[in-house]
Amino acid sequence: MTLLEKPGIWKRTANGRTALLYLLPSILLFSVFVFYPMFRTIYLSFFLTDQNGDAAIWVGFENYSYLLESTAFINSMKATGLFVLYTVPIGIILALFFALLANEKLRGIGFFRTVYSSTMGISVAASSVIWLFMFNPSMGMFNRLLSLLNLPQIQWLLDPQWALLSVSISTIWMNIGFSFLILLGGLQNIDEHLYESSRIDGAGYFYRLRRITLPMLSPTLFFIITISLINAFQSFGQIDILTQGGPSASTNLIVYSIYREAFINYQFGTASAQAVTLFIIILIVTILQFKLGERRVHYQ
Amino acid sequence: MMKLLKSSIFWLLILSLAVLTACTNSDSDTKDEETETPKPATSEGTGTEDEKVSIEFWHAMSGTGQESLDSIVKGFNDSQDKFEVVAEFQGTYEESLTKLRGVGGTKDAPAITQVFEVGTKYMIDSGYIEPIQSFIDKDNYDLSQLEENILNYYKVDGELYSMPFNSSTPVMVYNKDAFKEAGLDPEKAPETFSEVINAAAKLKKGEMYGFSMLTYGWFFEQLVATQGGLYVNEDNGRSGDATEALFNGPEGLNVFDFLDTMNKAGTFGNFGTNWDDIRAAFASGKVAMYMDSSAGVAGAITTAPFDVGVAYIPYADEVKRNGVVIGGASLWMSKGIAEKEQEAAWAFMKYLTTPEVQAQWHLDTGYFAINPKAYDEENVKEKWAEFPQYKVTVDQLQDTVPGLATQGALISVFPESRQQIVTALEDLYQGKDPKEVLDKAAEGTNRAMEIANKTKK
Repeated sequence: MTLLEKPGIWKRTANGRTALLYLLPSILLFSVFVFYPMFRTIYLSFFLTDQNGDAAIWVGFENYSYLLESTAFINSMKATGLFVLYTVPIGIILALFFALLANEKLRGIGFFRTVYSSTMGISVAASSVIWLFMFNPSMGMFNRLLSLLNLPQIQWLLDPQWALLSVSISTIWMNIGFSFLILLGGLQNIDEHLYESSRIDGAGYFYRLRRITLPMLSPTLFFIITISLINAFQSFGQIDILTQGGPSASTNLIVYSIYREAFINYQFGTASAQAVTLFIIILIVTILQFKLGERRVHYQ
Repeated sequence: MMKLLKSSIFWLLILSLAVLTACTNSDSDTKDEETETPKPATSEGTGTEDEKVSIEFWHAMSGTGQESLDSIVKGFNDSQDKFEVVAEFQGTYEESLTKLRGVGGTKDAPAITQVFEVGTKYMIDSGYIEPIQSFIDKDNYDLSQLEENILNYYKVDGELYSMPFNSSTPVMVYNKDAFKEAGLDPEKAPETFSEVINAAAKLKKGEMYGFSMLTYGWFFEQLVATQGGLYVNEDNGRSGDATEALFNGPEGLNVFDFLDTMNKAGTFGNFGTNWDDIRAAFASGKVAMYMDSSAGVAGAITTAPFDVGVAYIPYADEVKRNGVVIGGASLWMSKGIAEKEQEAAWAFMKYLTTPEVQAQWHLDTGYFAINPKAYDEENVKEKWAEFPQYKVTVDQLQDTVPGLATQGALISVFPESRQQIVTALEDLYQGKDPKEVLDKAAEGTNRAMEIANKTKK
């Protein structure tokens, strides 16, 4: 019996071992780039760090309790929440609208497809600089337009009421290209026969949109919503270039606040605590999304 | 197919290997990278009979500053054959400081690093550096030839830790044409807070605001210091580690009230935190008076299509003017490198302080000459005759009353504190109570200092 069992275990795990071997490269990469930094961050979040960024004093959960009491951090969370709310739904609806338009078979549609997805080709930094010029209070395009129309000038990036909106507008613009491309891909994948038979049955455009296009597109939509949410939570480049978290900390999103704390204030302990908090928030949002959103997703 | 697979696996392995080594030992890796270029020069140098010593000089000067610095370094390398300086641009002050933290105190550190003025305390505490006082003593170098008000900032407990280099102070820049139109004397700029407030009210016209100040902590520090106010306790952090912010005292409140009055009256223009924006606003006639760095005066004069005046920064009515605190950066010598390299660094620093080099530097960039004899050079005199505004910046520095306030504060958490001030100013411009926002900034600074003191080795 025992003689038979031993090779049995070895054999039974053969598939698992082969799988591990295949996974090895990504496990290696992930541990170096994701797992190690993550555990290091969690470790540092329980310490105050010295001038060299090394853990110096163990403070337990003090960094966390300080964060939850700090008005600045709560303000950051609020700003991040608002930013997500401003950018994700509008961005996706616009991208869907463009994708539906560009999905029509017309002459020269390739040109429009290129134009709509072109913002994907510009880096966040480059496009932020362009937006920075347009928002400029003295010579920016937007304020020029307003003064041509005899409307009062807006301090786009200097007024706390407007700054987050301004950053959101530019973020929506930046993200549309990517969402558009993914959604268009999803639309092109929908089986032409479904439309044909529905047309024979006499279904109108909006009926087809509601009953065929959206359900068939739902896996793609679900994917793009998840990715956009995570991206929005992690926005950094446009904040750094457009507002540096100001004015009055109204655009101090969590990722930017982490950057400030770590690389300007050299407080890696509290910065790590913020990073872990952000990680937990994104994790919860994503889990919720999978629990609630996936039910409506229709897989073929 | 098989071949493709094999080769891709091969490359993947190479990649992960590279990634692994890069991450497990990032410090030594960056060191290798940074020293690789100058190393051949060193070995080459030691190989030849005259034993040329090559050192690195990390700086944060871009644009015209970098051009001027490169030509100064070339001048030094050509002037003698014992030493060779290799100047390397390392990004902004913050970035180069972060890089230095990777190699500081080891033999791979650059012999000379340029660090901004608010990093002074950090550098002294870091243990990475050799105080240049030891070379001054050994060499009997005559410090009195340098500008006293600049030395005052960098001297700590009577010792000079670093060699001052690029120095600037704030000034008030104003539009002379707008002054004439508003019926003000263009040759006599307002001096006190209330004079500025009155002038701003007269200058406000249509799209033009009366007064503006970049939302940046440095200007607030200066307006407090010129009233004789201290930024932090322990004699501005110079007799011990500061533990409490004092900038929310009466002097700081004066500044916030001053700004608040104009903001509420609608004569204050807010142009944000970007230097270029406020300068563009001035040049395009959107603001009549603003505060700028002395290093920005040249640019203001050349870009503005009107007559530009330069004046001392304003002060509160009830106090006497104390003057300005020096800003900019200084050069630090590394500890732990070869003695010969330190000597080379010292030779270069001495070269930098000669009047001819300082005159060139002053004219190229608008920074002060740390050696006042530079102002007697012919080319400087010519330029001053053409642009008398330049002289105002130097006069303001030389008129400064030496004291604890104008010596400037010494704290290791300055960048954080400045951020607190920026937020306070932005809140103020939104109409919040001056006292309340200032107290909040002080509280944030106190906490930062407390943590810094706790974790200090």
